Amino acid sequence: MHGRVKVKTTAQQEEEKRKEREKKLKVYLTVRDAIFKKRTNSELDEEALQLTQQLLASNPDFATLWNYRREILLHLETVKEDEEMQKLYEAELLFIESCLKVNPKSYGSWHHRGWVSSRLPRPDWKRELSLCDRCLSLDDRNFHCWDYRRLVVKASKVSVEQELQFTDRLIGSNFSNYSSWHYRSTLLPLLHPQPASDPESACQKHTRPTASPQTHGHRVCEEQLLKEYELVQNAVFTDPNDQSAWFYYRWLLGRAEREELISCVYVSREGERVAVAFSKPVNVVNLMLVLDGQPQQVEWRSVHPQFRHSPVWLCELPPSSISDINNEHNLTVHWTEKHTHRDCALYTGRMESWCRESATDQELFRSELSVEKTSVLQSELQSCTQLLELEPQNKWCLLTIILLMRALDPLGHEKETLTHFQTLKEVDPMRSSYYSDLCSKFMIENTILKMEYAEVRVFSLSDKNLSTLCHLDQLLLVTHINLCSNQLVKLPLQFTMLHCLEVLEADDNAIENLEGLYHLPKLEEVSLKNNQISKIADLSPLATCPKLTRLDLRGNPVTQADDVWAELAELLPSLTELLL
Amino acid sequence: MGTQIKDVVIKPDAPNTLLLEKHADYIAAYGSKKDDYEYTLSEYLRMSGIYWGLTVMDLMSQLQRMNRDEIIDFIQASQHECGGISASVGHDPHLLYTLSAVQILTLYDSVKSIDVDKVVEYVQGLQQEDGSFAGDKWGEIDTRFSFCAVATLALLGRLDAVDVDKAVQFVLSCMNFDGGFGCRPGSESHAGQIYCCTGFLSITGQLHQVNADLLGWWLCERQLPSGGLNGRPEKLPDVCYSWWVLAALKIIGRIQWIDKAKLRRFILACQDEETGGFADRPGDMVDPFHTLFGIAGLSLLGEEQVKTVDPVFCMPEEVLQRIGLHTDLLT
Ligand SMILES: [Zn+2]
Repeated sequence: MHGRVKVKTTAQQEEEKRKEREKKLKVYLTVRDAIFKKRTNSELDEEALQLTQQLLASNPDFATLWNYRREILLHLETVKEDEEMQKLYEAELLFIESCLKVNPKSYGSWHHRGWVSSRLPRPDWKRELSLCDRCLSLDDRNFHCWDYRRLVVKASKVSVEQELQFTDRLIGSNFSNYSSWHYRSTLLPLLHPQPASDPESACQKHTRPTASPQTHGHRVCEEQLLKEYELVQNAVFTDPNDQSAWFYYRWLLGRAEREELISCVYVSREGERVAVAFSKPVNVVNLMLVLDGQPQQVEWRSVHPQFRHSPVWLCELPPSSISDINNEHNLTVHWTEKHTHRDCALYTGRMESWCRESATDQELFRSELSVEKTSVLQSELQSCTQLLELEPQNKWCLLTIILLMRALDPLGHEKETLTHFQTLKEVDPMRSSYYSDLCSKFMIENTILKMEYAEVRVFSLSDKNLSTLCHLDQLLLVTHINLCSNQLVKLPLQFTMLHCLEVLEADDNAIENLEGLYHLPKLEEVSLKNNQISKIADLSPLATCPKLTRLDLRGNPVTQADDVWAELAELLPSLTELLL
Repeated sequence: MGTQIKDVVIKPDAPNTLLLEKHADYIAAYGSKKDDYEYTLSEYLRMSGIYWGLTVMDLMSQLQRMNRDEIIDFIQASQHECGGISASVGHDPHLLYTLSAVQILTLYDSVKSIDVDKVVEYVQGLQQEDGSFAGDKWGEIDTRFSFCAVATLALLGRLDAVDVDKAVQFVLSCMNFDGGFGCRPGSESHAGQIYCCTGFLSITGQLHQVNADLLGWWLCERQLPSGGLNGRPEKLPDVCYSWWVLAALKIIGRIQWIDKAKLRRFILACQDEETGGFADRPGDMVDPFHTLFGIAGLSLLGEEQVKTVDPVFCMPEEVLQRIGLHTDLLT
């Protein structure tokens, strides 16, 4: 079905072809029916091996025929000596090899080869490994063969070192080999794991089985990382447009996963509400709330019914448990499953209180390399900057430079980063939305950092070409948000995490969807001048915000609707100031 | 040593409008040439072939042109003692064709015409100790089969029949350095596999485990200058990969990261103006497989002449609504 070019033929050629196919069909059907008949009669003999071979040679995806062969071979195992079976299985391997020559990408052939290897009385793994070498020399991207190689390597206990050297060889002969870079990413963490307990200690060689390179928290020790950087630099200076090495580079520069913990507990006397933020989206099964030493019966809910997993969870305390402003209270939230908890004290005279992890940019958004190794990142940045001078249009290099700058000093490099994003959109317009969204994400991260340093609850990010919103779980305590003059098209469901929000300004965007303005208990003022809200129904989420008093919709299509005043008065009865 | 980008050139006279009627005629006629050699050769995947044909017909609102009774009889005849369903009569049961059969029956609103409990039992029996699924009793393991298993069960409303947590753990263990997924732990990322794994995580409610920004970047880098998408770095563009990449991007909420107009142009150029149907690339032979993924891809791109397709099940959204199945997508 793939890569069959359509060719024009004359009527006569067509007729000849038709006859030929008719003949082939007849032969095919005769053999197929003979096979099915033998199988129905449970004939597990060598004649059936012959017949199935005939069809599989040209149609190796006919999975049932491989199954039949396995049934026959398993039966023969019970009646023949090991020596005979060894010969039969070796013949089977030869046959599979001939099938693979015709179709090197047949799932059925490769699986059968693995099966035969596992049944062979005396397997010859060296031969299998050399088959993989030959096959990969014909097509170094054949993932079936790579997978079979991994099976052989595992079965014959080839060392991780040897396999890493194998990728050295392949990458050395052709940098542009994504499969080899991929293989390295799975081998390195096995060979040079970074000890989880002590990130500063030197490389230790041991082969603890680990999870995948992506899920496994931290992956490669620094000493090895430095060598890998060098290899990548070699590759990208040789062929700066080869994406394989750049993808690998981005992985090397990747950041560590954040630990799972409770990042913030917020409590408010008003509504007697508690909000808990986590470092990752979770589905809270075992969260225990203790108030002044007494475990409380509360019902936890995520910020929106659509989120089964959410970084922010809410609950209400029993009535009158904390409403009296003259009482002091101590609150503890236990996350039993993770053996972690967070305390929060609510003092007399205070309406609300919170306790949170003072997250630094390192923890939140930056690369995993330790601060001591800033010099390393600095020198990587220098190399990339050199390359960019040679290749000013190279998108891979531009993007990598942005990432390095962020790892080094996100605020200090903000201006250059923005310029590079602009260039990226020009040299790679096909992916301009990706670059816009990534740039938005970085701008949001920077604004959060600035807000943290200033210790304020105001988030202001106007006129920055924001195309998307993210990290909203970090804004749990924010009371004022200004997103004016951006390119936002919606306030997403995650907006419901802004649990303390009182004032929202989002004028001059292209917002048409307000689904995230849902059950925000403190929201009083919303300004959405000059957006794209077109239907009254689009405003219905606001009806769940009990304190809303001021709404500015000037410059939205919805203001032209019939009866807009009356309908809004009905939908949002708490409004005292409506601007249309 | 430098590599050139592998891509195709779209000729200026390539089709650039959607030839719906031709495609419907092509699919309607496809099943009628049963004595054709090529058709017979593809018997080993017949059940999936029927699913491709019916789904694309339904997306084009032409399902009524297909022979419903004959197809349901065929499915009944293809269910085995063990509960599994085979590609065709005389072939062995397999998860791939069990899912296709259940999808077809869901389109026809008649899953009750087979023994559903037995199907569930069959799927259940293929789950391994590590949470993975074998495709059949011969033990081939692949994340495609994890998808087939949970998709089949979800369509039957019986997801609780297997150990979902373990199944999730296995799929996550196949996640790679680039955020993508392969066939088994350690296998290279591949767009088809990424579609299966993100679809799997959607069905099991675990999409938050995906590194959507990283994976989305890899996926949008599949788009080549021709506008078509490939399935892995340094490969040629293809209509079926266009679907898998696009559906995965839709599932992880990043579909805006590709250039929709250019992709649409590529998919339309893969139509055959004479015979109807879509090929993998412009100028190649058409087949029902690429015809479905061409139409489904256009649907995800917002084509209004066809029904809205569900990115996880690759079936009309309205069919899933009918059985009360809501698909989880990242925003
Ligand atoms: Zn294809």
